Amino acid sequence: MAYAYLFKYIIIGDTGVGKSCLLLQFTDKRFQPVHDLTIGVEFGARMITIDGKQIKLQIWDTAGQESFRSITRSYYRGAAGALLVYDITRRDTFNHLTTWLEDARQHSNSNMVIMLIGNKSDLESRREVKKEEGEAFAREHGLIFMETSAKTASNVEEAFINTAKEIYEKIQEGVFDINNEANGIKIGPQHGATNATHAGNQGGQQAGGGCC
Amino acid sequence: MNFLRGVMGGQSAGPQHTEAETIQKLCDRVASSTLLDDRRNAVRALKSLSKKYRLEVGIQAMEHLIHVLQTDRSDSEIIGYALDTLYNIISNDEEEEVDDVEGKRFEDLGSQFTEIFIKQQENVTLLLSLLEGKWRTSEFDFHVRWPGVKLLTSLLKQLGPQVQQIILVSPMGVSRLMDLLADSREVIRNDGVLLLQALTRSNGAIQKIVAFENAFERLLDIITEEGNSDGGIVVEDCLILLQNLLKNNNSNQNFFKEGSYIQRMKPWFEVGDENSGWSAQKVTNLHLMLQLVRVLVSPTNPPGATSSCQKAMFQCGLLQQLCTILMATGVPADILTETINTVSEVIRGCQVNQDYFASVNAPSNPPRPAIVVLLMSMVNERQPFVLRCAVLYCFQCFLYKNQKGQGEIVSTLLPSTIDAMGNSVSAGQLLCGGLFSTDSLSNWCAAVALAHALQENATQKEQLLRVQLATNIGNPPVSLLQQCTNILSQGDKINRRGSKIQTRVGLLMLLCTWLSNCPIAVTHFLHNSANVPFLTGQIAENLGEEEQLVQGLCALLLGISIYFNDNSLESYMKEKLKQLIEKRIGKENFIEKLGFISKHELYSRASQKPQPNFPSPEYMIFDHEFTKLVKELEGVITKAIYKSSEEDKKEEEVKKTLEQHDSIVTHYKNMIREQDLQLEELKQQVSTLKCQNEQLQTAVTQQVSQIQQHKDQYNLLKVQLGKENQHHGSQSDGAQMNGIQPEEIGRLREEIEELKSKQELLQSQLAEKDSLIENLVSELLQPSASAGDSEKVAELKEELATLKSQLNSQSVEITKLQTEKQELLQKTEAFAKSVPVQGEGETPAAANSTDVEGRLSALLQETKELKNEIKALSEERTAIKEQLDSSNSTIAILQNEKDKLELEITDSKKEQDDLLVLLADQDQKILSLKNKLKDLGHPVEEEDELESGDQEDEDDETEDGGKDQDQGYL
Repeated sequence: MAYAYLFKYIIIGDTGVGKSCLLLQFTDKRFQPVHDLTIGVEFGARMITIDGKQIKLQIWDTAGQESFRSITRSYYRGAAGALLVYDITRRDTFNHLTTWLEDARQHSNSNMVIMLIGNKSDLESRREVKKEEGEAFAREHGLIFMETSAKTASNVEEAFINTAKEIYEKIQEGVFDINNEANGIKIGPQHGATNATHAGNQGGQQAGGGCC
Repeated sequence: MNFLRGVMGGQSAGPQHTEAETIQKLCDRVASSTLLDDRRNAVRALKSLSKKYRLEVGIQAMEHLIHVLQTDRSDSEIIGYALDTLYNIISNDEEEEVDDVEGKRFEDLGSQFTEIFIKQQENVTLLLSLLEGKWRTSEFDFHVRWPGVKLLTSLLKQLGPQVQQIILVSPMGVSRLMDLLADSREVIRNDGVLLLQALTRSNGAIQKIVAFENAFERLLDIITEEGNSDGGIVVEDCLILLQNLLKNNNSNQNFFKEGSYIQRMKPWFEVGDENSGWSAQKVTNLHLMLQLVRVLVSPTNPPGATSSCQKAMFQCGLLQQLCTILMATGVPADILTETINTVSEVIRGCQVNQDYFASVNAPSNPPRPAIVVLLMSMVNERQPFVLRCAVLYCFQCFLYKNQKGQGEIVSTLLPSTIDAMGNSVSAGQLLCGGLFSTDSLSNWCAAVALAHALQENATQKEQLLRVQLATNIGNPPVSLLQQCTNILSQGDKINRRGSKIQTRVGLLMLLCTWLSNCPIAVTHFLHNSANVPFLTGQIAENLGEEEQLVQGLCALLLGISIYFNDNSLESYMKEKLKQLIEKRIGKENFIEKLGFISKHELYSRASQKPQPNFPSPEYMIFDHEFTKLVKELEGVITKAIYKSSEEDKKEEEVKKTLEQHDSIVTHYKNMIREQDLQLEELKQQVSTLKCQNEQLQTAVTQQVSQIQQHKDQYNLLKVQLGKENQHHGSQSDGAQMNGIQPEEIGRLREEIEELKSKQELLQSQLAEKDSLIENLVSELLQPSASAGDSEKVAELKEELATLKSQLNSQSVEITKLQTEKQELLQKTEAFAKSVPVQGEGETPAAANSTDVEGRLSALLQETKELKNEIKALSEERTAIKEQLDSSNSTIAILQNEKDKLELEITDSKKEQDDLLVLLADQDQKILSLKNKLKDLGHPVEEEDELESGDQEDEDDETEDGGKDQDQGYL
C-alpha cells in the first residue's frame, strides 16, 4: 500500500512492562496474557492516517532484559520515535526510567520523539506509581505522557498515533532532515519526488500491489 | 637495505633461520623507530614477507602491527600495510593450491591467529573504528577501508560467532558496517557485501539490525542497478546476503513483506522467452532468486507468515511471472526444476493461488492445462529425476488443503467425465498410466500423487471406489482398488524397471491413505477374499531385511482394515480379523512389524519436510504426508490390536449407548434444525411484512402530504370564496361534528347543492328585479312623468336594501359554514394522521392501512370533485357578480335619470302650484268682479260668468275665439 511517510519506532523499557503486548494490541488488536520473553528484537507494522495522510509505522519491539541491551542499542540511531514504557504496578520500572532515557538520548539522534507510557492502567488496585508522577517525570524531561492498558486497549492507539503526530509536526516545522533515512523517516511513493513539507500535494492513493 | 636483500634471497638458501631473523629485525624497527618513514618501510617489508612466512610473521609481528593500528592512525599508508599484513596472516584464501594436509595446517593457523587477534576485544573495536567513514572522500580512506574490510571479513570467516558477538556489543558496530553498502567505490561496496554475508551468517540478532539499517532497500537497489539476473557476481553476493537475512528469521521476513519488497522481486523473473543465452552467472543468480522466494513461503515458516507472503506474491503478479517461466521454452533444466519447486511453495495451501495455477495453460496447440503437461513429465522416464520430483511436489502442493482441486483431479478418472474429455489426455489418465507402467519410479510418483488427491477428503475416497479400469479386451473391467491389490499380490514377481520395493511401497501407501477414515473403502477392500490372506501371509512370513518395510506397510493396512471396520462384512468383522492376527501372526509380532515403518532410516528424513527431495531414486520411499498418517495411526492401531474382545465388547456397548445418545442428539439436532428453518421462515415473513408495512407507511405519508396540499389549495380557494362574499346561506349549522368523514363531506356537498339552488333562486330574483328595473326605466322614459315613479324608486331602493341585508346575512352564514368546513377538514387530517400510528402492527395493521388507504383515496376523489364543483360555482358566482355589477350600474344610471326626472317633476309641480295660486287669485278676482257686477245689478250666470271670465283675456281680442276656446276646453 502506498504511504506518504514511513516512521520507524522502537519500544523500550524494563522487562515485563508490556512492550510486546502494546505492539500486539496495536498491530493485531489482541492481547496475549502469557508473558513470552522477547528475544532480541521483534518487528511489527501498521498503517495509520494523520492529517489525511497515510503513514506507515514500522515498529521494533526490543527485549527489556539487561543481557540484550547491547543489541537493542543498535536500534536507537535509526528510529524517529520511541515508546518508553514502565509498569504502573511496579515502582522499580518507573525508577529505571532515568537510565533508559540517558541510554536513549545518548544513542539516538537528537530529534527522536519519546513518548513515556505508564502501562497496565487496568490494574488500578495494584498501582504503585501515581499518574501525577508520570506526568511530572515527562514534564521534567520534555516527553509526551500517557497511561495505557495493552489488555483493554485503552489509549494504545493514541500512544502510537500521538507519537506519529509529534513527528509529523516536527517534519512540518522542518526539524527533521527527511532525506536522511538514518533518522527513521522515509518519504513514501505517495509523495512522489516533491519535498515533504508541501502539505497539499498528496495525490489519491495509488492502486498498490496489495501488500502493505 | 641488507635485510631486504635477505628477504629476496631467502628462498634459495637456509630460509628459516635468516627469515626469522629478518622478521625479528623488522619488528624491532616497527616498535622502536621514531621515524614514521622507517616504520612504514618496515611494515611494508613485513607485508611482503607475510604470505610466504605466514607463521613467522604472525607470531612475531602481530603485536607490533596492532600497535601500529593504534598509534599511527594519521598515516593511511602504514595503516594500510599493517592491515594487509594482518589479512595475509589470518586469511586462508591464498592457500588453496596447497595439498590437503598442508591446507589443514594453514586453516588451523588462520583460526589460531584470529583467536590471538580477537582475544583483546578492543582490537576488533579498533578495526571497526578504522572502517568508519571519517575520511569518506579522500584516497586516504581507501587504503584503510579496503584492507580493513577484507581483514574483518577474514576474521568473521575464521571465528564467526565470537567476532559477531564482539561486533554486536560494540556500540553501533553493526550500523557502522552497514555504511559500507553506501560507499561510492564499488570495490569497497562489493567487499562490504561479502563482509555483511559473513557478519550475518546464522546470527538472528545481527540479521535484524542489518535489516533495520535498511539493508533490504539497499541490496534490492544494487540488484536493480546491476541488471537483476543479468548482473554479475555482485548480484549473486547480494542475493546470498538477502538469503542470510531472511532464512529462518520470521521478524525479518515480516519486515520484508511489510516493506513491500516482495513487489520488487517480480522484475527478477521477467526473463521471458528471449534466447539471449543463459550464462552460468545468470543461472546462478536466478537460482538464488528463486530460492529467496522459497525462503519467504517455506512450509516450515509460521502458517500466517507464509500465507500472507503467498497472497502478496499473487497480488503483485510474481506467481504469474513464475508460471510464465514454467511454460517458457529454452529454460535450463535446473532453473525449470527450481521454478517448479518455487511455484509449488507459492501455491501450497493457498486457495487463490491454487485456483490460479489450475487455470494456467501451456502455450501448446491446443492449449493444455499446465498440470497435465507437468504430470506428463512426472511419468516420463526420460525426464531428469529432480524434475520429476519437483513435478510431484508441485502436484502435492496444488492439492494441499484444496478440496476443489482434489475433486477435479478425481473426477477426471470417473466414467462420466472420461467420455466428455474426448481425445485430450487428462490428469487422471496420466496418473493411472503411471500407476501401472513398468517404471517403478512412475508407479511410486503416481501412487503418491493419487494419495494426495484423497488426503483428508472422505468424498473423494468414496468417489475413487467407482473408478473402473478396462484391462485386456474381452476381460471384464476391474476396479482401481482391485487392480492395486492385484499388482501387490504379485509380490516380488512383478516386472518393473527400477526398485520393485518402490512400486509396492507406493501402492501400499496409496491403499493405506485410501482406506483410512473410510469404512466403505475398507469394506470394498475386504470384499475381495484374496486380500486378507495375502496380507497375513506377507506379515507372517519371515523375510529378509529388504522386505521388512513392505511387511510393516502390510501390517498398517491390515490394522487400518480393523480400526476403520464398520463390521458390515460378516466374515471380516473386527473381532474375526483380530482373532486371525492372534492365530496366524501373533499380536506381538504384528506390532513389531508395524513398528518397522517408523524405524526405517528414510522415514524420519521424509517426515521433516513436505518436499520430496531425494538424492537419488533409491531413496524415494516415503512421502511426507504418509509419515503424518503413520504417526497418527500407529498408536491407535496398536491399542486396537491389544484390546481384548471383552474390552472390545464393552467399547462396543459404550459405542452403542453413545450412538443412542448420538441418535437422540441428532433427533434434537434435527428438531432444532427444523425449528431453525421455521424461525428462518417466520423471520423472512416478518421481514417481508415489515417491508410492506414500510412501503405502506411511506405511501400513507405521501398521501397525507398530498392531502395537505389539497387542503392548502382548498383553503386558498376558500379564502378566495370568502373575498367574493357571494355565498348562499345554508342550514347546515346544526350538523353534528362527530360524523364520519365521507358522510360529512356528503353533507357538505348537499349544502353546497342547496347553496347552488339558492344561488339560482337569487339569480332568478335578480333577473326579476332586472326586468322590474327595465320596466321602471321604460316607464320613466315615457313622457308622462308621474308621481308614481318616485314610489317605484323607493320600492326599488327598499328592495335593494333588503337584498343587501340578505346578502349580509348570507355572507355571515357562509363564513359560519366555512369555519365548519375547516373544522371538518381538521378532523379529516387528524383522522389521516391517526392512520400511520395504527399501522405499526403487522398483518392486521397492513389490512388497516389498505383500508385506510382506500378510504383516503375515496376522500381524495371526493375532495377533488368538490373542488371542481367549487371552482364551477365560483365561476358562476363571478359571472353573476358581473351581471349584478352591470345591473347595479344600470340601476345607478336609472337612479340618476330618476333623480333628474324627480327634479323635473318637482319643477313642474311648482309651476302647477303657481298656476293654481294664479288661478285662485283670478277666481278671487272673478268672484269679486261678479260680486261687483251683482252689486251693480247685473245678473250673471254663475257658470258662464266663471267660464267666460276665464276667457276674458282672449275675449278682449276676439269674442268668437273665446267661444271656440270654451268648446275646445270642453
